[in-house]
Amino acid sequence: MARLVLQRLAATVPVLLLVTAGVFALLHLTPGDPIDAMMAESVDAVAKASLRAELGLDRPLPLQYAAWMGRLLRGDLGRSIRNGEPVLESVSRRLRPSLQLALLAMGVSLLIAFPAGIVSAVRRNTAADRVSTTLALFGICMPNFLLALLLIFLFGVTLRWLPISGYVDPAEELVDGLRSLALPAVTLGLALAAVVTRTLRSSMLEALSEDYVRTARAKGLPEGRVIRGHVLRNALIPVVTVLGLQLGTLIGGAVITEYVFALPGVGRLVVDAVFARDYPLVQGVVLLIALGFIASNLLVDLLYGVIDPRIRHR
Amino acid sequence: MPASRRQFLKTCAVVSGVPLLGLAPRAARGDTPKKGGTLRVGFYIEAATMDPHLSGSKIDRQVYHNIYEPLVTLDTSLGIRPGLAESWSQPDPRTLVFKLRRGVKFHDGTEFNAEAAKFNFERMKSEPKSVRKGEVANIDTVEVVDAHTLKVNLKKADAALLATLTDRAGMMVSPKVVQERGAELQRNARGAGTGPFEFVEWVKDSHLVIKRNDAYWNKQGGPYLDRVRYRPIPDDVVKLQSLQSGEIDVMDYVQPRDVAAVKADKNVVVVDVPSLADFAYQLNHTRPPFNTRALRQAVAYALDIEQIVKGVWLNVGVPANGPIPPTSWAYDKSIPPIKRDLAKAKAKLAEGGQPNGFAFTLTTNNIPINIQEAEVIQAQLREAGITAKVKLVDSATLISEGNAKNFEMISYQWSGRPDPDGNIYQFFRTTPGTSLNWSGISNPQLDALLDRTREVSGQAERRKLYGEVTKLLQDELPMVFIIHPIEPKAFSPRVQGYEPIPDGMMRFKDVWLR
Amino acid sequence: MASSIPASAIADRRWEVLRRAAGARLAPLGAVVLAVTVVVALAAPVVAPHDPLRQDLGNALARPGRAHWLGTDNVGRDVLSRVIWGTRVSLAAGFVSVALAALSGSLLGIVAGYAGGRVEGLVMRLMDAVLSFPPLVLALALGAVLGAGLGGVLVALGVVYTPTFARLMRGQVLAVKARDYVEAARALGAPAWRVAWHHVLPNAATPIVVQASLSVAFAILAEASLSFLGLGIQPPEASWGSMINAGRGYLQQAPWIVFAPGAALFVTVVGLNFLGDAVRDALDPRARG
Repeated sequence: MARLVLQRLAATVPVLLLVTAGVFALLHLTPGDPIDAMMAESVDAVAKASLRAELGLDRPLPLQYAAWMGRLLRGDLGRSIRNGEPVLESVSRRLRPSLQLALLAMGVSLLIAFPAGIVSAVRRNTAADRVSTTLALFGICMPNFLLALLLIFLFGVTLRWLPISGYVDPAEELVDGLRSLALPAVTLGLALAAVVTRTLRSSMLEALSEDYVRTARAKGLPEGRVIRGHVLRNALIPVVTVLGLQLGTLIGGAVITEYVFALPGVGRLVVDAVFARDYPLVQGVVLLIALGFIASNLLVDLLYGVIDPRIRHR
Repeated sequence: MPASRRQFLKTCAVVSGVPLLGLAPRAARGDTPKKGGTLRVGFYIEAATMDPHLSGSKIDRQVYHNIYEPLVTLDTSLGIRPGLAESWSQPDPRTLVFKLRRGVKFHDGTEFNAEAAKFNFERMKSEPKSVRKGEVANIDTVEVVDAHTLKVNLKKADAALLATLTDRAGMMVSPKVVQERGAELQRNARGAGTGPFEFVEWVKDSHLVIKRNDAYWNKQGGPYLDRVRYRPIPDDVVKLQSLQSGEIDVMDYVQPRDVAAVKADKNVVVVDVPSLADFAYQLNHTRPPFNTRALRQAVAYALDIEQIVKGVWLNVGVPANGPIPPTSWAYDKSIPPIKRDLAKAKAKLAEGGQPNGFAFTLTTNNIPINIQEAEVIQAQLREAGITAKVKLVDSATLISEGNAKNFEMISYQWSGRPDPDGNIYQFFRTTPGTSLNWSGISNPQLDALLDRTREVSGQAERRKLYGEVTKLLQDELPMVFIIHPIEPKAFSPRVQGYEPIPDGMMRFKDVWLR
Repeated sequence: MASSIPASAIADRRWEVLRRAAGARLAPLGAVVLAVTVVVALAAPVVAPHDPLRQDLGNALARPGRAHWLGTDNVGRDVLSRVIWGTRVSLAAGFVSVALAALSGSLLGIVAGYAGGRVEGLVMRLMDAVLSFPPLVLALALGAVLGAGLGGVLVALGVVYTPTFARLMRGQVLAVKARDYVEAARALGAPAWRVAWHHVLPNAATPIVVQASLSVAFAILAEASLSFLGLGIQPPEASWGSMINAGRGYLQQAPWIVFAPGAALFVTVVGLNFLGDAVRDALDPRARG
């Protein structure tokens, strides 16, 4: 087990190298310069040049990359070009709303996926199966921003049940915080629900066809007991896996939701940084997102190893 | 027909720059302002920095005009009024003497005086990251004559300088704050200004709060509000919905497509604020096809600016005859915008050696209204045989392409400055190297005119010069001007006392909540 | 004893899969939807009642009526015609990007699976790197480099979906490599590519097709999302996604601008999902009864 972990950790280094080199190269290939973008209405070429020199932006690219890596190895992710804030500080500040949103979205998706997935597995190929599968698909069959808009229109503007935009930290004010995250969580959760429902359905079908289920039924146990006692527990493992893998996507990829609902999350942070060509910020955030993704993958794999003894003792 | 006459008068009012006081949320007779309340304001992005000398973004200014004060201020007709300077005089064209107001204290308790003012100007000129350097470039030295008299020595005559000092370049920051917390000033402006409100806190990406300054020197009128809370709402659909559902009280900009609907909504009050801006397209004089004047003129004649203003901007603005907006004293309404004339366009095409039309690339920002405008322009040009291929880019790329003169026709939206010089000089004066003169125009006659406008100080004479400049610009076409937009601002009906000033800045000193 | 599976048996199995897929209740629906959209896309010039680019500023935001069945948009263009022509763009976005991904992914997967060792390690690390790269950042950056048009989006989506296909193909290669008949074929001297062609690809084809059909639906939606950020088809042409995005601000005044392309998108994506699910269900040996 320990060897597996070490192996995987060693494997992540080249991956991270590739990711950072990739984002560095890509960023510097894109036209546009952060200083020009920041000081768009200023004509002061001297000031711009001196600022560029101060930030090291006028040196050859390989040197800049090496300098960035050097600082990285010392634990310094650099500072945003636009406002000088340390990248690590920006990310940790924006991580909290993103994390909270991701967890709530997963909760929403489970609320939908559980009944939908179980029903369609147990009542396979019947009308109930088709209906619940279709309903579960609903969330991913329209673009994110359209769904968000419709929800805002319904719950925010027409019914006035929930706030339209803005973020309140549930850790500070629970009720207001949850209300501010409700619509965005539903937007993301509906989309996630489709994937989770599918996973749950197929894993339940697999579990239902196992021998021990047939045995339990033969022994006369009521169906409900069979499902709850044995099938569900085993079927949940792939579901947890899927959710774990989605965590990374939810955090870095919920840009549109964050934009529409004015949530200060990580997704918007990186996209705004790309638009402003804020190189250090983009590089730092992409690195952290990649790290997070790899870490959650590793965790899920380890969990699998723990649960499934066949893998553990390979 | 009373309705259309009202419409006509309103349009006249807009065009001539008279503020639409009838539409401002005015207090009814007998209403006295009352103190209290928090005004919730929604902008599309949040401020970038709280240090006015380092600031480059427009939204920053919105906050600054409430917590900082400039030496001189603007009134509703863009006249220059006393601010922190009670009066000023010009003993000779290269000297400005300011008499500073007495009894003004910064929010941290220190006194505002000539030493503080000198400190500010020197910081603007010497601070490495200062964005104001270009604006105060003409200032040579600043002398303290006595505690409340400041003498500014200029390198050369500059008629536009006073107008520049009504904004960030004239804003006074407490020297004590800079000395003790200079680096922190970007995020924390506590104690730094002299304005009717003072900085409280800024939770990045969430909100920025300022509170009433009870020790404000001006005892006439407000401030009345307890607090003002700024919140960034990037999506404009959501922003409008927030206002309509009462989550915010003030919104900085209503999109043209929403204006009609919002004006009909009884829960919202819309104020049309004619702006100083000019939106145009720059034509690249340094390479084909637009290095040929006739072809530029062909495009100008093929465009139907009135149709663009009507169909795309829904008349939230007026067709432009040049860079000077109707709100400015220098505006010459006797010069009409270029009118569409397909026959002339075809003639110019022949004159330019392309009788069957030609093709070029139109570079513009990928925001909805720009895309719409580009599509309409494409259709209009096609009728003259000119093919415009639209290239959408994000704004960092746009700026980079423009600075590098890597474009043929590129969108340019200038937010405008109180003095016409701010809309003109740096765009059309021959400038080597990278500059805001993206078109690369170099016309000696124009250069001479532009230099004169800075040397001469009388408004009447400058106005005449600017008239000649406008005519020359319509001929040489470094830019094709489209519109001087109106910036409609929307309020909850509870908001009273707002007086719009054409620079678009929202000053809340005399605003109160019913 | 080496078990040899004759080619005819493989073919029989494939027919059985198809038959079962067709039998699933909703598969025909998905197939019909796909067929209709493809036909509409191909026949757009004939089917569309108006020129999708023709503006009529005086008749902007017209309600659905006799002249314009689905109304007009904010510059007076016929919404129905734009939705019909948009089918081409949206389908292209879906199919081309997935085709790119399937091709490059399969190639990489085969190479990785066969070469093994260091090459396999390098390829799979590369795939991991692409997977952990935030896709939106990739799309934005590529859009700025390659130009914001549809091409940039196709490349970006192709890159983003490649690892899925690479992993799939590699898994298939590893599974097949271990099978006895392959060892037998190799022992008999058959070159690697021949083995790949005759044994790996046919077996891998079905899971790849399943993955592809589901990915096409995602790709079409992704193009819509990217238009939100200003990437994708350039004006005046439109895709369903860019129409929805452009019409977003008019939701209250003229909802048909959003709902027409939105409905088309919805139906197509749902249909594609049904198709993909049906094929996958048919493939699953445990899905019997």
